[in-house]
Amino acid sequence: MEQVKCFMPQTLREALKIRKEYHATILAGGSDLMVSKSMGAGITPAFTGPVMILTGVKELRGIRKNPDGSVSIGALTTSAEISRSALVHPLLIDAASRMGAIALRNSATIGGNIGNASPKGDMPQPLILLDAELVLKSEDGERRMKVDDFILGSKKTALRDDEIITEVILPPQAFTHIFYRKIGMRRANAISKLTLSAAATVKDGVVVDFRASSGAAGPKVARSRAAEELLIGRKLSELPAVKEEFLDAWNGVISPHAMPEYRRNSTRRMLAYFIDALAAGHPAGRVE
Amino acid sequence: MYSNVCFKLNGEEKCYEGDPLRRLLDVLREDYGLTGSKEGCGEGECGACSIVKDGELVTSCIIPIGAVNGCELLTIEGIRDTEKGKCIIDAYAEGGAVQCGFCIPGMVVATYCLLNKNPNPTEDEIRLGISGNICRCTGYDLIVESIRLAAQKGAALWNR
Amino acid sequence: MAATNIGDRIRRVDAVQKARGESKYVCDLTFPDMQYAYMVRSTVPRGKILNISLPDFPEGYYFISAKDIPAKGRNELWMIAKDWRCFADEYVLYVGETIGVVVGPDRGVLKELRSRIQIDYEEQTPAVTIDDGINSVGGPMFPEKNSNVMCELFCEKGRPMEEVFAEADEVFEETITTPYQEHVHLETNSAIATYEDGKFVFYASAQCPFYIRKSIAGLLDIPYDDIIVRQQTTGGAFGGKEHFPDVICGALLVAENVIRKPIKMVFDREEDTQFSVKRHPSKCVYKSAIKDGRVIGVQGHIYYNCGAYLASSYVVLQRGVFHANGVYTFPNTYLKGEGIGTNTFPTCAFRGFGAPQTLFAIETHMDHIARHLGVDPLEFKLKHLCKQGDETTTNGHIIEEVKLPEMIDVLTRESDYWRKAKEYKPGCGRGIGISMYNHGGAFTGNGEQAIIKAHSLLVKKGDKVTILVGSTEMGQGFKTALRKICAATLGISIDNVDYPDPDTSKVVDSGPTAASRSTMIVGRLVERAAKQMKERWNEGDFSVEVEYEHPEGYPWDQSTFRGDAYLGYGWGAAIIEVEADRLTNEIKTVGIWTSHEIGKAIDELIVHGQINGGVIQSLGYGSMEKLENRKGFFKQKSMSDYVIPTAMDFPKQFYHIQENPYPWGPYGAKGMGELVFNGASAAFVDAVERALGTRFTSIPIPPEDIEEALKNVQ
Repeated sequence: MEQVKCFMPQTLREALKIRKEYHATILAGGSDLMVSKSMGAGITPAFTGPVMILTGVKELRGIRKNPDGSVSIGALTTSAEISRSALVHPLLIDAASRMGAIALRNSATIGGNIGNASPKGDMPQPLILLDAELVLKSEDGERRMKVDDFILGSKKTALRDDEIITEVILPPQAFTHIFYRKIGMRRANAISKLTLSAAATVKDGVVVDFRASSGAAGPKVARSRAAEELLIGRKLSELPAVKEEFLDAWNGVISPHAMPEYRRNSTRRMLAYFIDALAAGHPAGRVE
Repeated sequence: MYSNVCFKLNGEEKCYEGDPLRRLLDVLREDYGLTGSKEGCGEGECGACSIVKDGELVTSCIIPIGAVNGCELLTIEGIRDTEKGKCIIDAYAEGGAVQCGFCIPGMVVATYCLLNKNPNPTEDEIRLGISGNICRCTGYDLIVESIRLAAQKGAALWNR
Repeated sequence: MAATNIGDRIRRVDAVQKARGESKYVCDLTFPDMQYAYMVRSTVPRGKILNISLPDFPEGYYFISAKDIPAKGRNELWMIAKDWRCFADEYVLYVGETIGVVVGPDRGVLKELRSRIQIDYEEQTPAVTIDDGINSVGGPMFPEKNSNVMCELFCEKGRPMEEVFAEADEVFEETITTPYQEHVHLETNSAIATYEDGKFVFYASAQCPFYIRKSIAGLLDIPYDDIIVRQQTTGGAFGGKEHFPDVICGALLVAENVIRKPIKMVFDREEDTQFSVKRHPSKCVYKSAIKDGRVIGVQGHIYYNCGAYLASSYVVLQRGVFHANGVYTFPNTYLKGEGIGTNTFPTCAFRGFGAPQTLFAIETHMDHIARHLGVDPLEFKLKHLCKQGDETTTNGHIIEEVKLPEMIDVLTRESDYWRKAKEYKPGCGRGIGISMYNHGGAFTGNGEQAIIKAHSLLVKKGDKVTILVGSTEMGQGFKTALRKICAATLGISIDNVDYPDPDTSKVVDSGPTAASRSTMIVGRLVERAAKQMKERWNEGDFSVEVEYEHPEGYPWDQSTFRGDAYLGYGWGAAIIEVEADRLTNEIKTVGIWTSHEIGKAIDELIVHGQINGGVIQSLGYGSMEKLENRKGFFKQKSMSDYVIPTAMDFPKQFYHIQENPYPWGPYGAKGMGELVFNGASAAFVDAVERALGTRFTSIPIPPEDIEEALKNVQ
């Protein structure tokens, strides 16, 4: 019944020192850990080792545009703040604005959502499509890693026990067409059953870029560059011919266990819908 | 190894000296006797524990007290005697929004946050504004109407 | 102050206090030297308890179990039968059955102690589903009957069904199933036990304070008066706090007897979801004889999953059987009900109390027959609608005028049903559905007279009147409605009428707050008492007590289930319009129109609120509330996986109230609390079936189940 050590650093430097010395569990907004460790009313949640509440480290919040056109999002930025930002890509705003409900979005942080690596987490899914990168800092230095490489599986990441996620970097994007759907158990305040983002860049009638990512699709977000390659470089008029091959290839990367038929079929229908829209010359913008 | 956690609660300066990992809801209800915020689910799903933190709606059952250092908190107890709070509560009574009442303090807090940001919300915007507050009794229609009533009656308050 | 009139729009008397967060629910109460308690529960669905090993309990911490029931006491909770044990002893019958309680001052310590209690079982094969129970999987639950049939009944009308089937043009048979449903009252189950002045006092979140007293006194073999139950502000109930508080208060009574300090038990949400009573899952096998385009006979075989103990299941089953023909008169019916015992958490009361299951089944069945015959479902159903004077399935009569035709006129006009029904071709992605339903008011037959014998007491002091009845406010607005009835009858202001939360040592027993009987029966009693009081108004301070009187001339035989089951019904109709997303099979409800006939609305705002709430609860039941039991364990445990509607899930409702004054209700009012739950789910499913061109025979229908059904479309 001993109280665990709980640190509340005020600067990143302090935080990195504590992380190195104690390998303290990082507590950002609390929306994941305070639930998973909950012991019920009146009892402090059951953390088993040292904890570090990061919310005091103001330098980890905020969104800014970098000179190269990329956008940096501080790890402690809440999903509500992300969903209001004009700098953030619409596909990330889609996911951030539909996480849980308003109150959750005011607590949940992008760093926490990635660090928790739940298969049903909302933000990693578009981040992986966007080829977003993480900045991982420790007292000894800094690493950068794509979110797709950082998340290893269900609740498993490549975070070292002396590291903290400090920033998420979104590369500049020039998609002409985007699509996003979240299917939850109800119309609001719902854990995702299935999420799908898709994006394409069409130039002079040719698909110069095509990406998709499926969330709640397995231990980690599903994305297949091999499948995407089937569509890249094609003329819009060629899309109907390769559509089925693409859909079959996409279907192949989705975990058979995690995706019951309903989700698999819905994913297929949605991707087909998006490709059909492109082939039909849908104007630039969001495909509804 | 811990510093005190200091914050403003309903306008009053407070410092908490206990375990920083204690749930904010427990600190409010048990340590400070502010039982207006309720526990409906303990996992941030139902909104019955809703309070205002630095002007934003949050669910206090999933926030550790250590995370509110330096913040300004408002609970139903801090809202109910303000002009805005009285306007909302009066509208709720007038509009038939209250049945068993357990979700209502959280709804009032959500309404307060909604109207502060959006003084003239549409029906859809109202429903979005309370979409994180679960009610099992009312079916929501009369709560939505009461919020519209509060927006109308208190127009001067919300439009500052 | 001006007198309150029955037609006045007023504010609920408790609204401001609740909105300010000042109302005290059980969880908000503290007492000096208060202890906490947690249940210790069975983790297997069926088995013998071989051994319980306890860790060392520090001073001031207790493990209370069957051993602590005094020798003169009995290990039973007297609900209707006495089969539900307070503490499981020697064997367990379901996951979550109470074996003991741990009690002590620190909650963290308690949970830690509890986690170290080791219970060894010899497991046996459980029966979990209705079919398991029918087949006595694992051995019959009732060896003396060689079956799991806990209770049964049947009623018949007209000719033998074999004859009717023989002369039919065709016979249409199908099986329709409905699931568990969890109440999700926002305030979880909770109670505090104390010992004050030689009596055991309970502060309870409850619908029926007198039920608690009666149920648990036998544990210590003490007189009822040695137990006082004080109902606290109750945060929703819906039937989940009708009998279930006995389970908490019984355990706390035994503990209190040992410890003699205040003990508080508050369920957390996961506990409430998994380990409290639920709505009975049902399996209804309907076989209908069709001749010349009409249904001339219906045979219904209805099975309810009762779980391991009787609780209120026999009465739930009866109501299910009596509503199995819905709002229709069929010349020949044979309706049989069987309550099947299984090794699952006992099922009990939930708004509708057995009627929603069979009303869903008959409505869906009629829809399917209509579609099979190529006829619009509403047109088909109207051909069979019952009328005043018709013989019922229990050989009684519909006593009142049935206003459904007028109600349907209003709704079809408001919703533009006839045009849309033709325009929205099956499978086009848009659909409009309709259901009609009813709910017999109060207790069946002469139950009010024979069993309950409700009393109401009014006390006058100066120009203030206090209502002392055992009925409880749980959000339905009864506190306000009853004060309104009293004030309007006396011709005084509602502000001069008080109605405290019942304390069993101070009020009379008015029967349970259930069965949609409060306004109809207790309201009527208060109206009668108020009339007497008004005549004697200038006599100073005095009180008036009245007892229920059953209207003469409406016979009912409870042993054969024959006669006039209900003196009056509430009647309802719902139209729902939906749009299907063809990519994801998500359903968006775009219109809700309902009409309800409840005699007279005592307060329109209260009635409006009840309609909205009941309809949304019913739509949740039909569309998203999935509670599955796998091998005795509930799969869904919390509010994130057992989902109920948010404000964004359904649009604003159109509502209509049809008047039809009821002679034996106050100001013509009948019951309404449950009626409003009974129909929307069938209208929703009808709409989705039309939108997608498919057929469902079970609910809920979340998108994945829709996908499954579409695969099977011919």
